[in-house]
Amino acid sequence: MILNDIVGRMKKLRHSVVFKSLFSIIFMLGVFSVIVITIGYRGFTESLLKQYSDGAFRIADTAAMLVEPDRMGEYDSQGEDTQQYQKVWTGFDRLCNSSGATFVYVIEPDTTDYEHIKFIFSTMAEWSGYTKYDYGYLRQTTNDDYKEKYRRLYEEGSQRELVIRDKGYIETDPHITAMIPLKGSDGQTKAILCVQRQMEALASARKNYVRSVIAVLLLSALVFLTGQALYLGRVLLSPVKKISNELGRFAKENTLGEKRLTDTIHNKDEIGMLADSIDSMEEQIVSYVDNITSITAEKERISTELTLASSIQMNMLPNDFSVFSEHTEFDIYASMDPARQVGGDFYDFFMTDDDHLCIVMADVSGKGIPAALFMMASKIILADFAKMGQTPAQILESTNETIAANNPENVFVTVWLGILELSTGRLTAANAGHEYPVLMHEGGSFELLKDKHGFVIGGMTGMKYKEYDVDLKPGSKLFLYTDGVPEATDVHENMFGTGRMLDALNEVTQATPQQIIANVRRAVDDFVKTAEQFDDMTMLCLEYKG
Amino acid sequence: MLDIAKKIEDGCAYFTLEGRLDTVTSSELENELKDVLYDVDEVVFDLENLDYISSAGLRVLLSTQKNIGEEGSMKVVNVNDTIMEIFDVTGFTDILDIE
Repeated sequence: MILNDIVGRMKKLRHSVVFKSLFSIIFMLGVFSVIVITIGYRGFTESLLKQYSDGAFRIADTAAMLVEPDRMGEYDSQGEDTQQYQKVWTGFDRLCNSSGATFVYVIEPDTTDYEHIKFIFSTMAEWSGYTKYDYGYLRQTTNDDYKEKYRRLYEEGSQRELVIRDKGYIETDPHITAMIPLKGSDGQTKAILCVQRQMEALASARKNYVRSVIAVLLLSALVFLTGQALYLGRVLLSPVKKISNELGRFAKENTLGEKRLTDTIHNKDEIGMLADSIDSMEEQIVSYVDNITSITAEKERISTELTLASSIQMNMLPNDFSVFSEHTEFDIYASMDPARQVGGDFYDFFMTDDDHLCIVMADVSGKGIPAALFMMASKIILADFAKMGQTPAQILESTNETIAANNPENVFVTVWLGILELSTGRLTAANAGHEYPVLMHEGGSFELLKDKHGFVIGGMTGMKYKEYDVDLKPGSKLFLYTDGVPEATDVHENMFGTGRMLDALNEVTQATPQQIIANVRRAVDDFVKTAEQFDDMTMLCLEYKG
Repeated sequence: MLDIAKKIEDGCAYFTLEGRLDTVTSSELENELKDVLYDVDEVVFDLENLDYISSAGLRVLLSTQKNIGEEGSMKVVNVNDTIMEIFDVTGFTDILDIE
């Protein structure tokens, strides 16, 4: 469990910004260290080597002055016991022990293949613990490097050669050997003088250098990384965590927090800017949501009110057609379909006395709520005057005076109003700017009745209206409508028109008023198809039965 | 759709209306009229290319006629048959100065 937990944490850590950042720093420091150590190691080695070799050559030059190359041949015959040989050797020995060289010697290589060398002089520093090679000691050349150097000194007139042995397997400690030719008076190389110096100082100094560089780098990396981790944690990780938590909370609650992010995050950098942006984003979203909520609530309220208004309006219109069932003299039916929830069209019918039926078809200018308000007033005023026993023209005039007196918006209403005397069939009517009524006598067809038109109601005071009479016979039918019927429009902006309306009526001349209205409605629907209903559509049909 | 072309000359605003003057477009015309009505004595509506006028459009004509007052005058000219029929039916022929 614990192990899993740790692995989980490590996996999580691997994706952390801080971890990534620190890892890249460690990687860069590593690369940087390798480069620094390599350059330092090289430079260090080169300068120390130069110092060592310069010293070795100085010793060699000094030693060379002790030798007389021309007399080298004498040693073969006289051996090393001559005074002259001893003098030279003593000089070498002193030089070797005082100069810090390990080994000063003179050799004669076998110039056929340089495979072997013969020692002429050799002296070892006392501290080295080695013993000198006697004159004439013969040994194999150490390696090809030496061979090549010997050859150059003999055959190519080289004045200085250096062999460095500090790498790979060597039988002794790391050392250098400086070589100079010893030339006779004839200019020929007679022998080679070699000075060997130990390089343990170089090696240990180099080791120390590398160790201290690594130590300094590790230490500074540790300090730097700790600092960086703390810094990143403070300026990056902690604010980012705060922002992330805040956003999580906001997504869940959709409300402003107790504190703004910028109250707790004081960064002046991009993180600070981000926090500030998130603060203002949250504020905007909250205010936007509030706004939407209140708009939605407002819409809801208006919609509820409209539904209620629509119901009130529809119930203001007589819709129970059975109330006149005791009057066998006529059959009546009507319908009103507002384009919006409420409309400005209306119809009305009522008995003004036992023998007189008043019928109204009206259309208020405009649509929707303003028209609906105006419609309510108009309907009541018209009915009031009608019930006072006025004639149609008087009713329209009185109504016009009442409405036009207080009508700053110049809304008006077109009204067709008729009073039917049930006993005789005489219809007395007046038209205030309304559509032509349609009339059918028994045996005939529906036709527009081009009646006399007065001005619309409510537009201007002082208007006069003319009445006319029509005698209905049993079987006569009267069809009234608002302009929503002929002006019903299809998607191509073609109007239904009174022609199609008459056609639809004449398809069903013998039907009941309800069936006739249904047929016109169907014809309109067939015509407009998918087009939106643009205007209120109201129809009324009366059949006089006598 | 209604195209309203407005020309003002010597205190007379000349409106040429083309298209349909219905509930939507009549408020556009009303706004145009509001801007000029107090600066001119005469308003003329050219209705030659008006296809349709609804009751809302008629209301604008009525309001304009009333607002221009006694000193001013309003005329409608070049009324085509369709519009004239609507004027006849609604009785607007009685109150408008139609040429």
